[in-house]
Amino acid sequence: MVMAEEEESGVSIQLEFPKGRVKKIMALDKDVKRVSSEALFLVSRSTELFLQFLAEKSAQVAIEKKRKTVNLEHIREAVKRHQPTRDFLLDELPPPSQPTKPDRPTQPAGRPKLDPPPRGTRRIDLFFRKPELDDPAQAQPPENPAQAQPPENPDQDQAQSPVPVDES
Amino acid sequence: MEDESHNNILPNGFNTGSTESPCLKTSTMTTQHNNNNNHQNHSNKEQDRFLPIANVGRIMKKVIPPNGKISKDAKETVQECVSEFISFVTGEASDKCQREKRKTINGDDVIWAITTLGFEDYVEPLKTYLQKYKEIEGEKLNIPKQLRSEQRLHQHQQNHNNNHDENNNQPFNGAYASSNLISQPPYVPTDQKFSLPFSPNSIQNQLRQQEQIDSVGHWYE
Repeated sequence: MVMAEEEESGVSIQLEFPKGRVKKIMALDKDVKRVSSEALFLVSRSTELFLQFLAEKSAQVAIEKKRKTVNLEHIREAVKRHQPTRDFLLDELPPPSQPTKPDRPTQPAGRPKLDPPPRGTRRIDLFFRKPELDDPAQAQPPENPAQAQPPENPDQDQAQSPVPVDES
Repeated sequence: MEDESHNNILPNGFNTGSTESPCLKTSTMTTQHNNNNNHQNHSNKEQDRFLPIANVGRIMKKVIPPNGKISKDAKETVQECVSEFISFVTGEASDKCQREKRKTINGDDVIWAITTLGFEDYVEPLKTYLQKYKEIEGEKLNIPKQLRSEQRLHQHQQNHNNNHDENNNQPFNGAYASSNLISQPPYVPTDQKFSLPFSPNSIQNQLRQQEQIDSVGHWYE
C-alpha cells in the first residue's frame, strides 16, 4: 500500500484509506452526485477517527473481561456504550445469540459483567427498529413497547436479507 | 415504497428522509457474510463495499495494547462498521446539499453532518487537518504522486462545477485556477517531479482505481 509522506511532525495528512474506495462507498448512495476533494478528505479522516475510537473502546472492553484478543462481543459492547455510534450501528452487528467461534463459549464468570442478557439485547434492537417500520413519518412516536412485535409490515416481513428496491 | 418506511430517526428528532434507505437496507444483515445486497450498483464487487481489511487491521493495532490481538471476526465486523459510518455521514451531508439546492458535497457539509450525528469530538481535529490540507494544496511540489493525481481529478471537477453552479463558489478559486494551469493533465501520472519507490502492483492498483473512477460516469458530469 502506498504511504504518503508526513509533511510535518505535528500534523500528518497521510491518509490511511485509499481515496478511490472511500469515494466508491460514498457513491453507493444514489442521491450523492458530486463530492469535493475537501469533503472526500474529511470523510476519510473522520472514518479513521471513528475506527480508532471503536478499536480503543473495544480494547477497553476486552481488558475488562481479561481477554487479550478483541472479538465480536467486545465490539458490540463498545458500540452499545456510545449513543451516537449505537444509533446507527447496533442493527448492523450480528445478533448476540449467534456463536462467533465454536471454541470460545461465553464463560459464566464473564456473564455478570454484561448488563443486558442476549435476549435483552434483542429487545433493544426491536426498540430502535420499531419506529422506523411502524410510523416512518413521525420523528418521535408516542409509545414503543419493547416487547411488542410490529403489527404489520407490508413492505418487509422481518427478512434477514432486504429485498432490493430500485426507486428510479 | 419500502424507502418511505425506512426513514432513519435520530435521537434529536431529526428525520434524514429517504437518503438513509441504502444504510437501512444493509442494516437488516444478520451475518457478516450476507453481502448479496448489490441493488445500489450491480457492477460493484463485494470487496468494493468495504475498506481494505489490511488498513482496518493496521489502524486497530495502533490503539490496542501492545500484547493485544484482534480476531478475524472483529476485523470483518469493524470493516462493515466503518463503511456504514461513511454511508451515514454521506447521507446526512447529501441531505443538506439537496435542501440547499446544491449538487456538490463540500467540506462544510461533512463537518455539519458529523456534528449533527453526534460526533462533535471529531470537528476540531478535522478542521486542523483541513487547514493543513489547504496549505498543501498551495505546495504542489510537496504532494506525493498518488495524492497529486487524485487532486488533479478534483480540480477538473471543481473547474467544471464553477461553470455551472455559482452557489458553490469557493474562496480559493484563484488558487485552483492557477494550480490547474501549472499542473499537468490529470489522467497522465508522472514521476518527474517526485519519485517514490512504487512497486508495479501499487502502480497497477492506482491505474485500476482511476479506471474505477471512470466507470462511475456521474462523477464527471
